[in-house]
Amino acid sequence: MRNFIFLLLLFFYPAVTVSQSNVNPDISLIGSFNLSSVYNKNSENNGKLLFHDPALEMIVEGYLNPYSKAAGIISYEDGNFEVEELYAHVVRGLPLDAQIKAGKFLVGFGKLNTTHPHTWPFISRPLFHQIYFGEEGFNDIGINLSFILPTGDIFTTFDAGIFKGDALAGSAQEEDTELLRGNSPVFTCRLGSFFSINDFNNIEAGVSASYGTYATLKYLFIQYGDLFEAFSLKNESLKYLYTGIDFKYKYKPDSYTALTIQGEAILNSRQVYSIVNEDELVLHKKNIHTFGAFIYLDYLFKKIFSIGARYDFTNGVIGAEPSELSLANDDQNNTQALSGWFGFYPVEETLAIRLGLEQMFFNYYGGDTSTETKAFLQLIFSLGPHKAHPF
Amino acid sequence: MKKLFVFMLIVLLCKISSAEVNVVTTTTVIYDIVKEIGKDKIKADYICRGDQDPHFLEILPSYMMKLRKADIVFKIGLDLEKWLPQLIDGSRNSSLVLVDLSINIEKKDVPTGKIDASRGDIHPSGNPHYWLDPENVKIMASEICNTLSDFDPANAEYYKKNREQYIIKLDQKISDWMKVMQPLKGKDLIFFHSSWTYFTSRFGINTAGYVEPKPGIQPTPSHNAEIINIIKKKKIKMIVMENYYSANAPSQIADITGATVVKVPVAVYGIDGINSYIELMDYIINRLIQNM
Repeated sequence: MRNFIFLLLLFFYPAVTVSQSNVNPDISLIGSFNLSSVYNKNSENNGKLLFHDPALEMIVEGYLNPYSKAAGIISYEDGNFEVEELYAHVVRGLPLDAQIKAGKFLVGFGKLNTTHPHTWPFISRPLFHQIYFGEEGFNDIGINLSFILPTGDIFTTFDAGIFKGDALAGSAQEEDTELLRGNSPVFTCRLGSFFSINDFNNIEAGVSASYGTYATLKYLFIQYGDLFEAFSLKNESLKYLYTGIDFKYKYKPDSYTALTIQGEAILNSRQVYSIVNEDELVLHKKNIHTFGAFIYLDYLFKKIFSIGARYDFTNGVIGAEPSELSLANDDQNNTQALSGWFGFYPVEETLAIRLGLEQMFFNYYGGDTSTETKAFLQLIFSLGPHKAHPF
Repeated sequence: MKKLFVFMLIVLLCKISSAEVNVVTTTTVIYDIVKEIGKDKIKADYICRGDQDPHFLEILPSYMMKLRKADIVFKIGLDLEKWLPQLIDGSRNSSLVLVDLSINIEKKDVPTGKIDASRGDIHPSGNPHYWLDPENVKIMASEICNTLSDFDPANAEYYKKNREQYIIKLDQKISDWMKVMQPLKGKDLIFFHSSWTYFTSRFGINTAGYVEPKPGIQPTPSHNAEIINIIKKKKIKMIVMENYYSANAPSQIADITGATVVKVPVAVYGIDGINSYIELMDYIINRLIQNM
């Protein structure tokens, strides 16, 4: 442990000694304007044109010293400012060529989660992200270590991190449920390999896992039919295990054309409480296994246009009120979606206009179904330095 | 801790005992010059293919792998390779030596006044396409020779000798190219992108306009109309463009005006058969002369 602290001090030492600097960090601003319309007979907004509040991200990033970088991303959405990401990243100089990232950031579970939505070709977050990670994705406070594995010409990285775990409980906060996360960190890892088939075809595949306690409960209030019952649980911990696979394939013969196919799947295994005896209202802890996945295809042509489609499946009901702590605890219902989009990028990454359509199918326990159609129009601008997009 | 030091020592000794200097270059033109000077004493690789636009490169982990094994990376500089810092970070190579070959180049098109995106994709420190002037390649060769000599002093004389031989060869070719290009001196040409500033300056060609309305900005109908007027007015015969850009707009302009679109590579390996900088310049110059 002493050695580790010594090494850390050694690497952060230049940051202390080179504290006076006249070099400014990169500052950029990303703005997003969204219009949408929902077609659902049960929705009070059925058929209305909805003008959403503009959203912005302000990004400040740069090198702290020759070994480390730092970034802060402040976002404004739905009337609230929030620190979306704030982290320091030691990118070189550590033993075994490790990298350490510490702070609040997008967690490397799967590939898509680590990138910001404005870089996606589609408009809405994949459904299983919404159910298992929450509306903002898997974004948490913690520390991540990354290693390159010696696998020859195949670029393979192994990432392992420990996180506070609040992101996973984010969709679980019910007023009448006392939910203590306390000192219950969650652990996440990903093994990812990138392989160049040739100059124009590249593929990346990965496996991810996340394990921990998603809730520690003193009480649990469960509504069962017309009954509303409170159970005392004495700080019972509920565990979860996410396992995931992801892949991305891209064919890019020139700078004007690209075909991207990307998909991810998650298997959610978790402990939940359910009532097993209706007469005596006995609470029982059981394991459930649920699933979510998406796959999309995007075709960029003439450098400025893109067209694509995505299929989503997830257990749980998108947009539903969480019951029994979290939408991720729902093994009875599922949601599917088929979405399509058309994107226009007149000048590189500085401006994007996207038109999207999403058809959702809700399948409820017992055989009931319903549908919802959403139409989107989105304008995104990017002001300031533009970094090249990673694969 | 002791084990860690022993491990690092072994890695260091392996590096020292290795006969070759591992060099990665951002472009194929630098790669060719590095090979001319380093020959069998170095192991070289490049990142951006000759048929790729070096302004925009996707961050691929395979590029990071190349840099991971490298001792030295040579770049054009002047903000051409905005993607390079991300690749270097991703490579996690803390001993990599980064060399900017633009340091001793006399820069052109250095913008004055307020620099912002309304002026297109301009480079604040100057136009980075300096390798299209062969005189600048001699400066690049000297910079490469000095770097290799500093890194590998045991072979410094070898690198110096190779540089001198290469410069003699280049001087001979420059003399030939200047003679061949004489008929184009003072002629007006249209270019697609502002890659040709150094080239036109060396060979005395006038740039009558660019198909791009501003650097890095896609052609627009109104700007195409302006270019058509210029071509008609000045009776320009050629629209010269880099082979990694789409020829849609230049072809439309050419159809209306009767000018010829001359699409050429601007980097080594830009097309099959162009395997060196000298072959590249021979090809560009021959195509221009054939179409004048």
